[in-house]
Amino acid sequence: MDGPDEVIHQPIRLRVMAALTALDSKEEGLDFARLKGLTGATDGNLGAHLDHLARAGYVEVTKAFVARRPRTTVKASAAGRAAFARHVAFLKVIIAGT
Amino acid sequence: MTIRSDEAARMLADVDGVVAKVKQSRLYRSAALIIILWGVVNLARETLIAVAPAWFGPRWFLIDAIGVAGTLALLRWVVEPGARLPVRTLAAFCLFYAFGWVWSNLLGQFGPRESMGFWPTLFLFGYAVAGLWFGWAFTAIGLGLTALILIGYVWSGAAFPLWLAAVSGGGFILCGLWMRRA
Repeated sequence: MDGPDEVIHQPIRLRVMAALTALDSKEEGLDFARLKGLTGATDGNLGAHLDHLARAGYVEVTKAFVARRPRTTVKASAAGRAAFARHVAFLKVIIAGT
Repeated sequence: MTIRSDEAARMLADVDGVVAKVKQSRLYRSAALIIILWGVVNLARETLIAVAPAWFGPRWFLIDAIGVAGTLALLRWVVEPGARLPVRTLAAFCLFYAFGWVWSNLLGQFGPRESMGFWPTLFLFGYAVAGLWFGWAFTAIGLGLTALILIGYVWSGAAFPLWLAAVSGGGFILCGLWMRRA
């Protein structure tokens, strides 16, 4: 049995990955504001967690200007989807083992 | 790192909660496009009837046909690009129109005012029921706009077509914009 994923284990990052992997891989991802609402994190906190996930190669962060306003879009990478699936499977094994 | 089973269960519940919110948000955003489209269709129909009463009658089905075609096109090419023609949606429209026609023309023999009030509330009833499965926003729109239409039916007098243009046209558009942000 694989152990917990140390990157995804943190609650905010777990929520971020849950939200991003709920989308189809062909979709463009979620914007920063939407992720903030879903995770309940502050701007700075979410930014730090997204950096952490991006450094691990689990998410792709795209920054662009839409109608002259900055827009940050975050998408789960294939590696991130696989890692999240493994982590969820690990949690299910823990529950089943009781 | 050690994780207890109750912690694991809490984390999975957290994951399920977030996934449910994302899915509902996607559903709301897709539905919002269709609601805005019908707001425009309703606004056009009711305004036309208000300024040219001769348009009341079977001809307004032509305007609705544009709405039905637009809904199918949105579902097929925007909401789920590459999907097959949404036959069930088309069947649902056919059932609603058949049911409404039987009651308003055959059994009920509604007058113009009754008919104008009946048709939008028939579809809004569908919204209210759908909301029990797909999210409270549908129910809120269905019940809220139905209440406004009934208020207009009773109190708006000769301005009822304009009242309908505002409620089932403008109201739908505003509800659609609100739903996009929900």
